[in-house]
Amino acid sequence: MGIIQYVAKRVGVYLAVLLIGLTITFFLPRLMPANPIEAYISQLQSRANGTLTPEAIASMRASLEDLYGLNGNIFVQYVSFLKRVILQFDFGPSFAFYPQPVNTMILGALPWTLGLLLISTVLAWIIGNLVGLVAGYFHTKRSATVLELVGILLYPVPYYILAVSLILLLAYVIPIFPLSPTFPVGAMTPAKFGMVLYNSILPALTLVLAGFGWNILSMKALAVATTEEPYATYARLKGASNWTRMTRYVFRNAMLPQVTALALSLGTVFNGAILTEILFSYPGVGLIMRTAASSGDYNVLYGAITISIIAVATAGLVIDLFYPLLDPRIRHQ
Amino acid sequence: MTKLSRYLLAPLMATLLGSATYAQEMTDVGTPRNETLIVQTFDGKTANPDSQNPFNLYAIWRGFRELGWSFLWEMDTATGKSYPELAAGPVEVLNDAHTQFRIKIRPGVYWSDGVELTADDFIYTLDTAKKYKDKLNFVAGYVNYVKSWTKVDNYTFDVETTNPAYDVQTVLGVYTWGSQFTPAPKHIFEKQGDNVVTFNNAPAVTLGPYKIKEYDPNGFWQLWELRDDWQRSGWGNSGTPQAKYVLYKDFGAEETRTLAFVQNKYDIDTFMSPDSIAAAKARNPLIESFSKTFPYHDMNDACSYGIYINQQKAPYDKAEVRWALALSVDLKTVGLSALSGQFKAAAMPLSDTPITNPVFYKPLESFLEGLTLADGYKPFDPTFGQQMVDALKAQGTPENELPSGDAIKQGFGAGWWKFDPAEAEKLMASVGMKKGADGFYTMPDGSPFVVDLVFPSDWNKVMQRVGFSIADSWKKAGFNVNARQVDAGEHGTVGNTNSKFNVELQWNNTCVYNVNWLNGWRSFSADNVKPVDSSDALSGNYLRVTDPEIFKLVADSQKLPTEDPQFAENGRSIIKKLTEGMQEINLMNIPTTIPTNSAYWTNYPKQDNFYAAPYTWWSSFKKTILNIKATGKQ
Amino acid sequence: MSATILPEATAAPTRPVGRRDSLLWLLNTRLAVGITIVAIFALGGLILPFFAPADPALQSTYLKNMPVSWMHWLGTNSLGQDIFWLLVFAIRNSLILGVLVAIGVTIISTVIGLSAGFIGGNFERLLMLVVDSVITIPLLPLLIMLGALIRANQAFLVLAIIAFGWAWGARTIRSMALSLREREFINMARFSGANTFDILLREIFPYVTAYMLVNFINTMLFAINTEATLAVIGVSRVEIPTLGSIVFWALNYNALFTGNYVWLVAPIVASVLLFLGLFLASTGFNAAFASRRGVL
Repeated sequence: MGIIQYVAKRVGVYLAVLLIGLTITFFLPRLMPANPIEAYISQLQSRANGTLTPEAIASMRASLEDLYGLNGNIFVQYVSFLKRVILQFDFGPSFAFYPQPVNTMILGALPWTLGLLLISTVLAWIIGNLVGLVAGYFHTKRSATVLELVGILLYPVPYYILAVSLILLLAYVIPIFPLSPTFPVGAMTPAKFGMVLYNSILPALTLVLAGFGWNILSMKALAVATTEEPYATYARLKGASNWTRMTRYVFRNAMLPQVTALALSLGTVFNGAILTEILFSYPGVGLIMRTAASSGDYNVLYGAITISIIAVATAGLVIDLFYPLLDPRIRHQ
Repeated sequence: MTKLSRYLLAPLMATLLGSATYAQEMTDVGTPRNETLIVQTFDGKTANPDSQNPFNLYAIWRGFRELGWSFLWEMDTATGKSYPELAAGPVEVLNDAHTQFRIKIRPGVYWSDGVELTADDFIYTLDTAKKYKDKLNFVAGYVNYVKSWTKVDNYTFDVETTNPAYDVQTVLGVYTWGSQFTPAPKHIFEKQGDNVVTFNNAPAVTLGPYKIKEYDPNGFWQLWELRDDWQRSGWGNSGTPQAKYVLYKDFGAEETRTLAFVQNKYDIDTFMSPDSIAAAKARNPLIESFSKTFPYHDMNDACSYGIYINQQKAPYDKAEVRWALALSVDLKTVGLSALSGQFKAAAMPLSDTPITNPVFYKPLESFLEGLTLADGYKPFDPTFGQQMVDALKAQGTPENELPSGDAIKQGFGAGWWKFDPAEAEKLMASVGMKKGADGFYTMPDGSPFVVDLVFPSDWNKVMQRVGFSIADSWKKAGFNVNARQVDAGEHGTVGNTNSKFNVELQWNNTCVYNVNWLNGWRSFSADNVKPVDSSDALSGNYLRVTDPEIFKLVADSQKLPTEDPQFAENGRSIIKKLTEGMQEINLMNIPTTIPTNSAYWTNYPKQDNFYAAPYTWWSSFKKTILNIKATGKQ
Repeated sequence: MSATILPEATAAPTRPVGRRDSLLWLLNTRLAVGITIVAIFALGGLILPFFAPADPALQSTYLKNMPVSWMHWLGTNSLGQDIFWLLVFAIRNSLILGVLVAIGVTIISTVIGLSAGFIGGNFERLLMLVVDSVITIPLLPLLIMLGALIRANQAFLVLAIIAFGWAWGARTIRSMALSLREREFINMARFSGANTFDILLREIFPYVTAYMLVNFINTMLFAINTEATLAVIGVSRVEIPTLGSIVFWALNYNALFTGNYVWLVAPIVASVLLFLGLFLASTGFNAAFASRRGVL
């Protein structure tokens, strides 16, 4: 079909997916037994023993319901939620930290998450693929099996275990990195930026280690397959050097699925963020999600999950639209 | 190397070497370590560090309550008595009906921006709280308590309370932890007009001796610096603050915190678990707990942990079932598993502290020992403390750290209920609940009886462990328990809502700090009883008391001054009734595990140096700041 | 041609689909190692619990923090539980959970994927819309959010993972179905009068089986990993011994710091080995099927 039609259809699906995703996101937290109003009040009580009278609590409850917009029919709330989000991209105020707007909270945390995860994902991809490429190309050699073994051993290790082990090793036994980060405040100077980097290396390292095992293995498999393709053999017969064959023939062709995988994993970055941020006290979106979940803070959850959904859906859209450009075989379908 | 570089290199090396010897340890935020007191925050990481408006809830942690604001009257945690801070003296009662009062403030108190504190600030605070009370979330404690107020002169104002009041100093001032009535600087807030509700007030102008130097916009830390003019601050007249800087920081989950603590990265921790403290002490001798002997930690928190039971719901409405549950808790084993034995048992629905003991526990000692159930069984066991000592000895605790003689009751409590599953079985059988084929109790009609026990998850580790251990104890005794650990929000909801509440580990209705038990139990009234299947939230009376005699005692006591001996006697009567019917299975005083590190600071409040409670988020911290000594370590 | 022998030539000649032959073609090193590991765990996890001296989840059964000895092969922990038996039950529970989830996911994704691929038209478009939407929803944050519900009932966890885990498999199976739909032998079958259901069962299914098996194992891995992750941060029923919950308790009681290393290291090693076994089995199967198809 024509390009315009294809693009239009694909974008249409994209929007539909977003809408369905938003709907599911809206209704699911309502299933949670944690009522944000009660969460707030019990937060007050548990720390401010004896300072609240029953009348005070009752009146607070009524006014909070009003403030949070939690009174009324749930469908009315749903419609107003959709209107607010789609038209103004405003997720309203956080419940647990009223009246802090959710957008401010998330925008403040977003650069941290994106910075850390994007960089480590890309790094893991680059390193993993390079190693996998070499291992796949020279797959008959012993060293290739060794490299593959590294991948096999790293890949199944659960992330939490990797993280805790690294913290113990590199922040306690050999105290190179700080146990808990201190991020500097104020205008970003080179010295402060250096501090940010220093405090981010440990979480980034765990992410890279966790990710590049998979990249090694998949790239190796792809590289092996591509090396045996007729055109690669032809290049060898032609007398091309190892390097040329590896880069121009094998890599170019094996890379395509890997690029898809990269784009998709960039999209799912927020999913992986949660564990890292909880473990390393990293001030990103994942940590906000965790605190919001435990206090029933609907608005923050909506905001954080919506961003994640948008990221994933957009990544998929971008792949679908640009992949044909990369792979001529598909272009003409 | 060229000549020039050699010439440059030598002095460079010398400077480096020289500075290395004199290098002073600096904190991550750029202050000298030996001038900075570093404290683990009570509430972890803040989500909205910019929120510094005293009318809203968040501006109380990370130092605001202790260092930034000031109150009319504060609480001395060593004696349990209220003392004037901003006020010039105790509150003056103006009429016999006890509804009109005069409050004088001290002249010569200045905000950190140089403006003097006057009665105008208080009037403005009251006006604003009333005007926007539906939108502000930290004013409910006093905005309905006072009806009207007038300025008399620059340092005096009058208030009229809605009802006759005998506790003005603890409602408009501090009772236990803090007070909602925090004066706001009129000269800054007035300009905001209606925006005062969402005004962030960052960085805040403070009244206390410290001002905010810097804070992390991500909420992990806040740095306070001593004001140059601290002597004319809100509590500058109590002594000299010893730390030039105070840093509140969140060091993360306990796993990372303990390591940082051992490395002397901070000075005071909050609620580290007992076994971690023991391991930390073993690695770093500078780390100390509140006391060198058992139970090692301060047990004088105002509230006590207990198993709250929904007395309105069957089968918990039968006293026999409640007593059976109480007699099936093996508190000794629970305490050993969950707390390494470091706790003080409290059998009645309030803490057993040096302040409450003479008023409530000591006078009722004979009552407890003589308490008899319907079948003649005496459930109280005054030897509980001795059993704990014996068990700990068997586990290898050195004898010189265990209390002996009279100190046993001080350490482990006056006693607790016997662990007697056989008697529990008799009691259950007397109401028709026998054990089924699977060894678990069933309802009288044969259907399975599942105890739904709700308790906190990670956000309160102590209660989390205690909860699992209690469930384990009950299961062994024959109760089928559904042990549910929940987040803070759900914990509150379950406790407040009849339809969701069965059995829960709680502490919000067993908080009697001193003789004024009314503050905690004022809510025992018929208005605070909802139908058993109600989904409306309760605002008090979480113990689900329905006894009209208790309601009458509460109503009568509201007309008595707290010094009246009848007032205390009424309190004791209420406690007796609650205990006889086992309306709540009280467990222990809240153990506050506050380890300290003496690498850079010493003279923290300790058991043998008890000038204040060890908490860093109460008024006690003000005393701590005045008393600590720097070690001068580089 | 050249001296290098192309893999296609060395692979076993393609056999007609569906004939029962000896399964020797399945064997390769990876698969053998993988299956051995999984078998050891499965057998141990299913049989050993019958020999347990006490319910390992009960607290204070033994003295706290005992070292490794003949009485306690892995010592005891701060709760007075025997670590070895805890581990055995944990492996059993984790495996059962993995299998349950994998069964649910495989059934749902196969049914949806095949029907979407074959029936096509608007039905397929609608289904794929649903699939795409489900894929975009991030699973971990969602599970953390529903944590309260999961803590109430472990079955909910199984349902939740199934509910959000079938999407990827359905997508892949659908594309497989799409490509198969046009192949020669399918048209042959169609012309010879077989109906859609027969075609699905007799011709397509055997192709898809290979993927289904690999997907089954991968789903098991994914489910066990997800449950362990949730348990480790405490968003699961941690009083039920699973690989994740042992780690949770060990971290909760600060095992590393207090010196009880076995408590933390034992479940970690067990997890890593189990995952390794599953992973090797999965890739081993993949390699075997691929070589059989003559693709490698």
